[in-house]
Amino acid sequence: MTHEELEEAVPLYAIGALERSERQAIEAHLLSGCTACHAALKDYQTVASLLPFGLTPATPPNTLKAKIMMAPASTASQADTEQPGPRSSLEPGEWMNHLFPPITPARSWPFRFAMGVAAVALIAGGGYIAWLTSTQAAQRSGEIQQLQTAVQQGSARVAALQTELQQREQTLGSLKSALEQRTTEVAELRDQVVQREAELDDAHARLTQHESSLQRLARHSEEFAGLFKNPASKVVSLSGSEMAKSAGAFLLFDPATKKAWLYAFNLPALPSGKVYQLWAIDDKPVSAGVFGLDAGQKARMLIKNMGDFPRMKKFAVTAEPDGGRPEPTGAIYLIGQI
Amino acid sequence: MDAPRHAASSIEPKLLARVARGDQQAFGQLYDQSSTLLFTLAARILNDRDEAAELLQDVYLEVWRKIAKYDVGRGSPIAWLVTLTRSRAIDRLRARASRGQHVVADSFEHPLVSATPDVGPNPYEAREDTEIRQLMAKAILDLPLPQQQAIEMAFYQGLTHTEIAAKLNQPLGTVKTRIKLAMTKLRASLQETLTQGHQV
Repeated sequence: MTHEELEEAVPLYAIGALERSERQAIEAHLLSGCTACHAALKDYQTVASLLPFGLTPATPPNTLKAKIMMAPASTASQADTEQPGPRSSLEPGEWMNHLFPPITPARSWPFRFAMGVAAVALIAGGGYIAWLTSTQAAQRSGEIQQLQTAVQQGSARVAALQTELQQREQTLGSLKSALEQRTTEVAELRDQVVQREAELDDAHARLTQHESSLQRLARHSEEFAGLFKNPASKVVSLSGSEMAKSAGAFLLFDPATKKAWLYAFNLPALPSGKVYQLWAIDDKPVSAGVFGLDAGQKARMLIKNMGDFPRMKKFAVTAEPDGGRPEPTGAIYLIGQI
Repeated sequence: MDAPRHAASSIEPKLLARVARGDQQAFGQLYDQSSTLLFTLAARILNDRDEAAELLQDVYLEVWRKIAKYDVGRGSPIAWLVTLTRSRAIDRLRARASRGQHVVADSFEHPLVSATPDVGPNPYEAREDTEIRQLMAKAILDLPLPQQQAIEMAFYQGLTHTEIAAKLNQPLGTVKTRIKLAMTKLRASLQETLTQGHQV
C-alpha cells in the first residue's frame, strides 16, 4: 500500500471498519514512526470516541456501582494475570494495544465463570500459603488481614448503600401517598365544580323563566292599564260566595278588541289537581279560561277574545279539576253580573 | 446523587494514575464520571440494558486490573474507556451471532442520534458533556443519511467495510468513501473541540 492509501485508511481504522490485513498494514506503518498518520489517527480516534455523546444518555441501574466497587475489594489491583489466548477478530492490534490488552479467557467468558476461575485461584493460593515457611506465613497473614479489611470496607459500603436505598424507598413511598391524596382532592374538587356548574345552569334556567314571567306580567300590566284607561271599557265586579266570603274580582272588557282582564283577590288556595275556571253565562255557561293563584292569593288573567260580552248576563268562578271542564262541575267561589 | 458531577469528557489522566495505585475512591470517581456514557454505548450496541450492565461489570473489572497499561500519549482516558467498552460489546454481539441469536436488524433502525435528539441540559450531566452532546448531535445530523448509516454500521454494529458493502449491496469503494467523508466531516465539525485541547 502507498502512503496515500495508508493515510486514507486512517479514518476507517479509527472507527474499526478495516479488514484484518489492512489493519495490520496500517499498524506496521504507524509503528514505523509516521508522525502525520499518528496525529491524524489521534484526531479520528477522538472523533470515534465522541460518537456515543450523540446518543440520548441512558442511566445505568443504581445497583451497578455497588457490584462494580466490590471488584477492587476482592481483586488485587494490577494483577497481571494475562495469558496468551486467541485474539478476537476485533482486536485492534499492536498500535492500540495500550487500549486493549490481548483478550484473556477470563475477559472473554461470562462474568460468573470468571468468578469461578477466581475461586479456583483462591483455593490454589490457600494450598500455597500452607506450604510456605512460618516467616512467609506471617507475611501472608498480614496480606490476608489487608484483604479482610478491604472486604469489610466493601461490606460497609454495601450496607451504606442499602440504607440509602431504604431511605429513597421511604421518600418515594411518602411522595406516592401525597400524590394519591392530591389526586383524590383534585377529583373531589372536580366533582364540586361539576355540581356548581349544574347548579349554575339550573339557576340560569330559573332566571330565564322568571324573566319570561316578568315579561308576561309586564305585558299583562300594559294590557290591563290599556283596558283600565279606555273610557269604553266595561267593568263587572264579582263577589265571594259562601266558599270565599272575603274574595272578590274585577272583570274589565274592551268592546273594540273583545279582550277582557280578570283580577281576583283573597281566593283560597286550592288543593293540588284543582284550578279556578271563569265562566261567562248567557243561556248556558261558557268557559273563559282557567287560572291559578300567585303568591299573594291574587290572580290575573287576560282573556284575548271574550266574544259577545254585552250579551253575557252573569260571570262566575268555580273550582274545577286541572285543565278545566266544558261545563261547571265544582263549587262556585265568585259570582257577579252586569 | 453524587455531587459535584464531573464530566465524562474531562476525566483527568491523574485520576487513572490514582486508580493504577489501587485507590478505590479514585476508582469510584472514575465510575461516576464515565458510567452513564459507557452504559449508553453498551446498551446501544447490545440493545439490552441487562446485558449492558453485565458488560460494564466486566469492563470496569478489566479497567481495574489492566489500568497500568494505559498510555496517555496515545489517547485520552475517555477515548480509552469508550474504545474498550465498544470492543467488548462488539465481542459479545459477535458471540451472540455465533450462537445463532438475533444480532441487530439489517435495516437502518438505530440511527446515530435519536430521531428527536435529547439535546436539552440533563440535571445529571456535567455542562461540558452537554456541550459535546449538542455539538455531536448536530454534526451527525448534518451528515447525509447514507454516511450516517455507514458510520452506524461500522461503529455500533462492528461491521467492516466489506461486510457493510455486502449488506447494503453497494460497491466497496462507495462504502469506503462514505465512511471516510463522514469521519472527515465529523473531524472538521469537532475541530474546535479537538484543537481547544479538550480532554477528549
